[in-house]
Amino acid sequence: MSEARPIVVAERPVSGTPRPYEFPPFERRRLPNGLGLILVDLPGRPLVTASLVLRNGAADEPAAEAGSTVLSARALTEGTEQHDAIGLIEVAERLGASLNAQAGWDGYTVGVDVPVERLGPALELLAEVVEHPTFPAPEVERIRDERLADLLQAKADPRRRAEEAYADTIFTLDSPYHRPAGGTQETVEGLDRERLAAAWRRGHDPERMTLVVGGDLAGLDVAAMAGDLMADWTRADGAQAAGPITSASAVGKRFVRVVHRPGSVQTEMRIGHLGLPRRIPDYHAVSVMAAILGGLFNSRLNMKLREERGFTYGANAGFDLRRAAGPFTARAAVHTEATVPAVLDTLAELERIRDGLVTDAELRAARDYLVGVFPLRFETPGAIVGALGGLVIQDLPDDELARYRPAIEAVTAEEVHAAAQAHVHPDDAAIVLVGDADAFFADLAAAGIGPVSVDREVVPGHETAGPNGGDGAG
Amino acid sequence: MSVPRVSFTDGRLANGLRVIVAEDHLAPVVAVNIWYDVGSKHEQPGKTGFAHLFEHVMFQGSAHVAKAEHIALVQAAGGTMNGTTWFDRTNYFENLPSHQLELALWLEADRMGTLLDALSQDNLDNQRAVVKNEKRSSYDNRPYGSWDERMRATLFPPEHPYHHTTIGSMDDLDAASLEDVSAFFRAYYAPNNAVLSVVGDCDDAQVRAWAERYFGGIPANPAIPPLGDLSLPPVIGLEHRETIYDRVPLPRIYVQFRGPVLGDTRLDALEIAAQILAGGKGSRLYRRLVREERLAQDVALFTLGLIGGASISAGWATARPGVEIERVEAAFHEELDRMGREPVTADELARARALIETDELGALQRVEERADRLSMYATLLDDPDLVNRMLDRYLAVTAEDIQAICAAVFRPDNRSVLTYLPEEMGAQAAEDVA
Repeated sequence: MSEARPIVVAERPVSGTPRPYEFPPFERRRLPNGLGLILVDLPGRPLVTASLVLRNGAADEPAAEAGSTVLSARALTEGTEQHDAIGLIEVAERLGASLNAQAGWDGYTVGVDVPVERLGPALELLAEVVEHPTFPAPEVERIRDERLADLLQAKADPRRRAEEAYADTIFTLDSPYHRPAGGTQETVEGLDRERLAAAWRRGHDPERMTLVVGGDLAGLDVAAMAGDLMADWTRADGAQAAGPITSASAVGKRFVRVVHRPGSVQTEMRIGHLGLPRRIPDYHAVSVMAAILGGLFNSRLNMKLREERGFTYGANAGFDLRRAAGPFTARAAVHTEATVPAVLDTLAELERIRDGLVTDAELRAARDYLVGVFPLRFETPGAIVGALGGLVIQDLPDDELARYRPAIEAVTAEEVHAAAQAHVHPDDAAIVLVGDADAFFADLAAAGIGPVSVDREVVPGHETAGPNGGDGAG
Repeated sequence: MSVPRVSFTDGRLANGLRVIVAEDHLAPVVAVNIWYDVGSKHEQPGKTGFAHLFEHVMFQGSAHVAKAEHIALVQAAGGTMNGTTWFDRTNYFENLPSHQLELALWLEADRMGTLLDALSQDNLDNQRAVVKNEKRSSYDNRPYGSWDERMRATLFPPEHPYHHTTIGSMDDLDAASLEDVSAFFRAYYAPNNAVLSVVGDCDDAQVRAWAERYFGGIPANPAIPPLGDLSLPPVIGLEHRETIYDRVPLPRIYVQFRGPVLGDTRLDALEIAAQILAGGKGSRLYRRLVREERLAQDVALFTLGLIGGASISAGWATARPGVEIERVEAAFHEELDRMGREPVTADELARARALIETDELGALQRVEERADRLSMYATLLDDPDLVNRMLDRYLAVTAEDIQAICAAVFRPDNRSVLTYLPEEMGAQAAEDVA
């Protein structure tokens, strides 16, 4: 009689042979008026993404008009010289197309996702929106009021409150990153159709605009289609090249700022400081370091705070790499009783990544993940077009994506260590906590982390302020 | 336009594991998705939230995999993974570069066969703490965060398992024991209670050989506990209304209805109705409440397809500052009522169809989504080919179908309305009474 079959196979399988993979090749050219064109043919992908990218974002707007760029993107599809807002929506919907525009800190995109057989009319619609937007006053006012109400909602939401308080804490007042990209109550109240139109015109220069189209483009002359629609575009009045962006740290010595939210059952924790811009020589080492520290599920921070301590549903840390230095942030929502231990654990992990070399196993896992996940990240035209648009906005070379994988594979433990020492600074970190200060203030003050201040601002929908309200971080 | 067909094979191992394979060599990626026919509807009173807590324990190791190693191995292979728990199911998935497929099958088999070998009180306690923090993050510490729990209890009677949420209650999570984990595993985590789908850059025969190698030795459970009769009357029978004074800046209403079960073609019509009512900026609710009358900051309406007696049609609207919530609610109901009184226009239907076509095309681009849908339709409706037929079903929905289902669903005696008001309005109301 033979032995009973084991329930499972003990031996772990070895991987097969990887199928060769390269980031899809793309073609880059310019129309006679300077408009950039990037076409990427993706056989078997019948849903096409077309995206017009402008190198002009919220970081480029005047401080007094903060929010004008983000809101101009929301208003861009609200009417053209040919169609009112509803007309525009209905034309797009009949094509099964989703027409969208959005702006972030670094750039502005106007895009459409559409089945390939209707790409022609969808591009016509995109061109109409770009060339002939009317920014109707009633729609602009509605969008402005929606943003004002959204700011009220943001104050009640602990996550959004923490993100806003953190940016407010770590960046100097003259940095645009100090404020929300969508603007503040004071600035948004002053926005109108002229200011939104001006924000849009600021980036409207064919020399600095690029149309990226990806999908199954077989048999289509997309360059000719784009030429017919866009070759006669000219520079708008008020268009200007994006200048340098001010980004500087407001943090000197380490301190704690608590935003009091009475009755919170969790504390939203943000710890960090001024980080890095996208264009840096050690980008790949920074990527691997951030993955080990707080990017992977099995990152040091998540393993400590979640899998060992059970303080949180998830913890992460990383760099928001922008045209100028964005924030470096470690973040988690932890139950209120765990607030002080979670801060101490996080600071300890920020120290530890600086203190010594990561292990071979950590290094391999992070590199293998970043390299291996590439084909999954770029499975769809939308993801590929988005990545190519990112190259344009960050002014990166054409081979940036193609050389990403070999560059990541070459990162050493020493380079990770150097990146940590250069870019992670727990002694100079701001610690921003949105939670019930009364529950942990005494422990926090006694923990020797740094000076502690508490904001007890009156928030609509919340309890009234305590007697010592309103002291900000110093 | 045509949405590419998903060609698949469908078979069972001797132990009952259903294995569905769809080859697609476009990109060097593969998706593994395993659905277990167990969800929060299988939870007993006093044990709410357990199916989801159990899902977390599935990542804590098995006979040949250490705690947290499952995820470490998948990520180091260049993959992504997760698990999800819902009323009708628990699923686990890995998306990988195709040459790493065998690893995912081995990992899934190891925990299906040997989870209890690695079970420990420490790991259970740790994941209990994690899940309680998930509940705090996703519900308890969020504005309006209690809506799901409150409305669920009004839509379904206490004896029905949809009465409680998947996240469960803190008390029940505290009470979960190692014995509960063992019993739940033995009852439901058997190959004959699961569907394994593999989609992407793979070889059908090879996948089936691997499935046999890794899963074939796991014994079936001949006595999976049957679920009782979950059938429900099609309508609630009365209108539930509740007002909560909470720490929210703007008033909001949540509105829910019972609808037909998943698989019923009338639910297809209800989904098209939701598209016409709230699917984007051209929809009726958005157009009237947000754009024209400017009563609301946002609106939503969608369906949650379920098989146990009734689905859920759910929506909300947030009042703009200074607008009375009663006006928002009246306009919301009027638009829903109108759907039952008169047919939608041909143009509205055409636009909804075009958008659904594009949505399907977009969703099915990814191997992950195809694998999930194959497992879903096989598990819930024993019909994985629905992945290829749903679009045609949506496109076949007529204006008359929409009117009929809206008249049947959007009725006052089938709705639950929950109103959130800022707490200072509660204080004001109390003063006015005093």
